[in-house]
Amino acid sequence: MKSKKKLIAAAIVLLALHLAILLAGFVAPYQPAMQNRDFPYISPTRLHFVDARGHWHVRPFVYQSVARPDSLYEYTEARDQEYPVHFFVSGSEYEIAGGLPSHTHLFGVDAPAQIFLAGTDNYGRDQFSRILYGGQISLAAGLLATAISLLLGVCIGCISGFYAGWIDESAMRLAELFLVLPWLYVLLAVRAFLPLHISPSQTFLLLVAVIGTIGWARPARLVRGIVLSARSRKYVTASRGFGASDAYILRRHVLPHTYGTLLTQAALLVPQYVIAEVTLSFFGLGLSEPMPSWGNLLANLQQYNVLVSYWWMFAPALALVLVSLGYLTVANAFHQQLQSGSI
Amino acid sequence: MKLSTASKMWPSMKYLERRVIHAILLLIGASVLSFLFSSLAPGSFFDEMKLNPQISSDTIAALRSQYGLDQPLPVRYVRWVKSVLRGEWGYSFAYNQPVRSLLMVRARNTLLLTTLAMALAWLIAVPVGVWVSSRRGRWDDQLASASTSLLLSVPELVLALGLLYLVIRTHTLPVGGMVSARFDRLGSWGQVSDLAAHLIVPVTALVLASLPILVRHVRASMIEVLQAPFIQAARGHGIARARLLFRYALPAAANPLISLFGLSVAGLLSGSLLVEVITGWPGLGPLLLEACFSRDIYVVIGVVMASTLFMIFGSLLADIMLVVADPRVRTDHASDRA
Amino acid sequence: MGIETAATRALQPALMRVRGLSKRYVQRTPFSRNKFAIDALVDVNFEITPGCLTALVGESGSGKSTLASCLAMMEKPDCGEIWFEGKEISHWSHRKLAPLRPKIQMVFQDSAGALDPRFSAAQIIEEPLEIQHRERGQQLRARACELMVEVGLSPDWANRSPLQLSGGQRQRLAIARAIALTPSLLILDESLSGLDLSTQAQILNLLLDLKATHSLTCLLISHDLSLVGQVADFTAVMHKGRIAEHGSTSQVLRSPQHPQTRKLLASVHVLESSFRTARAGGRA
Repeated sequence: MKSKKKLIAAAIVLLALHLAILLAGFVAPYQPAMQNRDFPYISPTRLHFVDARGHWHVRPFVYQSVARPDSLYEYTEARDQEYPVHFFVSGSEYEIAGGLPSHTHLFGVDAPAQIFLAGTDNYGRDQFSRILYGGQISLAAGLLATAISLLLGVCIGCISGFYAGWIDESAMRLAELFLVLPWLYVLLAVRAFLPLHISPSQTFLLLVAVIGTIGWARPARLVRGIVLSARSRKYVTASRGFGASDAYILRRHVLPHTYGTLLTQAALLVPQYVIAEVTLSFFGLGLSEPMPSWGNLLANLQQYNVLVSYWWMFAPALALVLVSLGYLTVANAFHQQLQSGSI
Repeated sequence: MKLSTASKMWPSMKYLERRVIHAILLLIGASVLSFLFSSLAPGSFFDEMKLNPQISSDTIAALRSQYGLDQPLPVRYVRWVKSVLRGEWGYSFAYNQPVRSLLMVRARNTLLLTTLAMALAWLIAVPVGVWVSSRRGRWDDQLASASTSLLLSVPELVLALGLLYLVIRTHTLPVGGMVSARFDRLGSWGQVSDLAAHLIVPVTALVLASLPILVRHVRASMIEVLQAPFIQAARGHGIARARLLFRYALPAAANPLISLFGLSVAGLLSGSLLVEVITGWPGLGPLLLEACFSRDIYVVIGVVMASTLFMIFGSLLADIMLVVADPRVRTDHASDRA
Repeated sequence: MGIETAATRALQPALMRVRGLSKRYVQRTPFSRNKFAIDALVDVNFEITPGCLTALVGESGSGKSTLASCLAMMEKPDCGEIWFEGKEISHWSHRKLAPLRPKIQMVFQDSAGALDPRFSAAQIIEEPLEIQHRERGQQLRARACELMVEVGLSPDWANRSPLQLSGGQRQRLAIARAIALTPSLLILDESLSGLDLSTQAQILNLLLDLKATHSLTCLLISHDLSLVGQVADFTAVMHKGRIAEHGSTSQVLRSPQHPQTRKLLASVHVLESSFRTARAGGRA
């Protein structure tokens, strides 16, 4: 089926992206904070297969860039020496998943050449590496916030739907209030009202907490609907007749019906929350320098000259679009499966 | 079972009353929430002044108490409510004026942008959605599906930035702000075209951002209706396709679209924040951002409340339109009272 | 059925007895001064004799299901007494009733709705055993398969979803689940409606077998007098929340006193099925 193929393709791309970002230290040729003051705002390094003498190389290579003496931020390639791209090179040290130190990088070139696949910023920092490391922050924020929203939503939705009565009434009124608030405005306001100058890890946790907490209402409503209908089934009545506790009924008869919806919601929320983090960081309310996040990487584009002249600074947008596309396709597929009743 | 004759004529009056009371309660709830989290904020507007060694801490304390910032929270809330009732809606420290006049100007700018964008988006989305629903599975439907998927995945932020980039590189349109510097010196036609030129980028960004969802909803709703027997019957009578789609199918598919319309109205004040900030459009968005950073709390609360008001109004509008448009909803409410 | 057997049995103390049971449902509609009151049960006096199959018959709305719910301790009556095993339980709290629940089990009308589609057949039977901590691990599955065999289901179907079973098979499964806790009383609420005649006959056969092997007391609720007339020892007829008539089945069927009973009898189709012949062969 066509949608099956789309789902598999999307899942593979997503997985590859997540893996690359998880192993940012390995995939990225440079450290995100490493500055190359000689090469600010250099455009992406070109990979060549044909050298100046017209010979074909199997292995791609790069030329070293040299700054033009007369103008700022303009470079030419020094065509005298080819620097082939090597794989599994030894480079700067990093830690795999917070623990094991390692030196190996996926690819690199010998000194003094550099390989800036996505160009550099005004400090000469490799954007490709920064995008990968920044992805760790942005994706993690999205995933964690989604987890929080879903957890809150499931808890409140379950209690609301299962016990009904005034608990249900008040919870759903509260949910309506949360749904009616313009979320972006509220997000900005809440974030801005909390301390602005705190450490990066605190900022990260704060962001995640705020984004996740605001979004509980929609999952809660969905879960509540499912719980309401499941709890009126005869097999729940039968279970009670066997002396089953509320916890047992929730766990074995009611909650399993929510899994499909929760999966779809998760696939929809993750890109939304990633974009929320990116937006906040873009406006300076999220992670700030020097920690890279897709948001503060894109924030460079707020400067007129950057926006106009240095198109490679748009690269984080590409990553963002890929993530969104992947998750939305997966969400669509889940939704269709849910409709047809296979989940 | 007795019904008074008046309510027999318009059985939804009671329902509307209920909704309006509901809406007022929501507003109160939103105001309390806004006030609550603004009170959690450490620091205040005058903190910036603390950095200035020329201003003594006594002056700062005097300023704070002048603006009532040292009062306990419930007192401040009551004073704010009184201010709202007086028509001032609080006071902006940064702009040194009542929040209301500030809000009005910015809200007008935002509404200009968003209503234009919304009208355009709906004007495009409905015909396109209706058309592709009848061409299900064929190349134009697939093209539409693919493009909506792609557009959906591009976040508004990126859309706005991208458009800005295009416009700057091609030097076609003025960038930034609502009007040019020489606006006042232009003739009336010149003023209109200047405004229009500045509108193009933000409006396009907003339209592109909302189009995919609208098209999808229209298409989905129409597809469901097109499978109904009465459409098959109409087709059998030889009714032309265009007429069939727009005069027979679309009205039946209208219910979910009306709700969606209400939601669109709901987002009129708050949906354009990103675009406004990036394109420099002087609307509520940049105002909110500024106020957040400078801790101009009554501005923040005012903006949040204004957009909440719109959201409530939008959903109320959707409900009313639904009641008016769909006779079934009316009789449902009548039986409610039985 | 032998009148002597029924008579001797009738001398034993009743398994369950209700006196003066009443229940009223009040429905309030929003924004209206009107209230609907439905008297589901009005001063009901009723007895269930142990080891016998009692039938409760009536039109829809006569209160049969409400009475069943009260007997199964799923609802509380407004007034009246319920005696079970010599104790008056109508006002007992949820916690006090808990140890009694395994003793009264119910089989519902809608077999598809009464079985969780996510469970396999064996898991459905295992559920009560698990909740009541009767068995564990391997024994759990073994006991479930035993019960499947007892109700006439093949143990190979242990992993099948109830959706893959026919209506009759599902009801057998529901019965297996209900008897897993060896209840004293089994209530079947319209469990035979919606099944075709031969399946109904098979299920009735099963009930009789269970009654014979386990001395299972059954309360069979139905609107179909012809059906229950074949198997029930005692019959009670309900009409508008009251017990119109109550006695041994042969008595009720041959000389009905109440006009409602006569009305129900008039629409009876006499059942001439393999059921009768099968029955004639096996019972004392």
